[in-house]
Amino acid sequence: VYQVFESVAKKYDVMNDSMTLGIHRVWKDILVHKMNPSPGTLLLDVAGGTGDIAFRFINYVRSVRERQLQRKLRHHQNLSWQEISESYQEDKSKSLGDSQVVVCDINKEMLKVGKQKAQHLGYSEGLSWVLGNAEELPFDDDMFDVYTIAFGIRNVTRIDLALQEAYRVLKPGGRFLCLEFSHVNNPLLSRLYDLYSFQVIPVLGEVIAGDWKSYQYLVESIRRFPPQEELKAMIEDVGFFKVDYQNLNSGIVAIHSGFKL
Amino acid sequence: VRCQLCPPQRALQASAVLRRASDEQKEPFASSSQQQSSSHATDHQPEQEPQGPRPSYTGQGGQESEDYESEEQLQHRILTAALEFVPEHGWTAEAIAEGAKTLGLSSAAAGMFHSDGSELILHFVSQCNTKLSELLEQEQKLVQLGEAEKKPTDQFLRDAVQARLRMLIPYIDKWPQALSILLLPHNIPSSLNLLTSMIDDIWHYAGDQSTDFNWYTRRAVLTGVYNTTELVMMQDSSPDFEDTWRFLENRIADAMNMGNTANQVQSTGEAVVQGLMGAAVTVSNAGTSRAGR
Repeated sequence: VYQVFESVAKKYDVMNDSMTLGIHRVWKDILVHKMNPSPGTLLLDVAGGTGDIAFRFINYVRSVRERQLQRKLRHHQNLSWQEISESYQEDKSKSLGDSQVVVCDINKEMLKVGKQKAQHLGYSEGLSWVLGNAEELPFDDDMFDVYTIAFGIRNVTRIDLALQEAYRVLKPGGRFLCLEFSHVNNPLLSRLYDLYSFQVIPVLGEVIAGDWKSYQYLVESIRRFPPQEELKAMIEDVGFFKVDYQNLNSGIVAIHSGFKL
Repeated sequence: VRCQLCPPQRALQASAVLRRASDEQKEPFASSSQQQSSSHATDHQPEQEPQGPRPSYTGQGGQESEDYESEEQLQHRILTAALEFVPEHGWTAEAIAEGAKTLGLSSAAAGMFHSDGSELILHFVSQCNTKLSELLEQEQKLVQLGEAEKKPTDQFLRDAVQARLRMLIPYIDKWPQALSILLLPHNIPSSLNLLTSMIDDIWHYAGDQSTDFNWYTRRAVLTGVYNTTELVMMQDSSPDFEDTWRFLENRIADAMNMGNTANQVQSTGEAVVQGLMGAAVTVSNAGTSRAGR
């Protein structure tokens, strides 16, 4: 798995766009929207190498924070200039409102690409990049508000261990969110999808990234991955409550959510 | 109070939060053995139990047993805690997140609820209705014990509606927002249900024994009175809402007079007119220029 991603790292984003025809951006947007993070949230994004989820999270929290500040200012009509400027300064310095995201990935190359992207796009505060294994996270217990793993969990050898680690590092009340390719329930779509996956994707992989085998592996790992209900049961087994999933594009992708209560 | 279950008992972090409500100080390992009866994940349980710090594999077994608080009860607690943040944040997921934080949970727990705050509002309404029932129950007891006089129907209705509407006062600024959310299609079944059962309750304690078609009329009328008074209350800026209570008094008086007319069909129609009139009063008070005027 490591070598697959080493070779894939640089072209990862380009391949994502071409494979999914850009829809992966929508899926990731939906994931962050579903998370609905409030300022002050601490997010752990596992297998988040190139930072897609992390950046979306930061954007979302920033806009929520702006709205909050606007609302506060509206209430401040009666204060003196002194008081207003003081509170303004204090709020300005916290444009993210203490929210933070830790991006953890097993692969150095992916993290490198992610860091470069962050610099390029101008994300400086609230981001950390940590090298780590999803089956054995280098974090203390009860640390994070939200744990996300987008298109990463199917690459983990022992999914149950990754789920346990997720449970461990989440605070009580914390949320587990998993975005992953899943089982298509529509038979017609399923056939088209299979056709596309096995015929088109490896070819794209060869043409764009010069790597047929990695993308062949990708498509096969998607087929081997447990379907929605089975993953839901696995998540419940680890101790999460209110576990549920939402199918996107009739099952091509599914978002699983659970709470540590 | 919150962190009484300290780190060595981390194995049951899973149920720690849920258990707090029942206030039982059971031995962690004794209670964990109760969860052994779970059907899930039985493979790993026996070896893992003795090792304290390792996260417990125990599944949903303890969830429904009577010693443990259920998810629903925890959700209710979060919503109740969230109410105090409503004046500041409105009926939103933010208020729920703040409520969750006061219980020692992560703000992400607000994700358990619908993002438009519907559940918070429905929870509040249901709580108010329960409080009203208790109030009316107590009053009835006093009457039965002979410690209080039985009120004439119109006064009874007036007092009951006023008591119920007064519960909105702390949240009155954000209540219009709540009303509009309650009118959303996916909320209408629940909100209508709560409304009708509250009205039924009031008539029950008013001593309404009728089972004839009068039943429907009475409920329609009182529902009309309640809804219109609520709308008027939104616009009212008089001290202690005296305008609203006067409006209420007049509507109840009209309703009583209406009950004396022989024609029942006409009175149901009148209830509708009442509703329209109340809405018109509201609209004209708001001073908005409506189409057609």
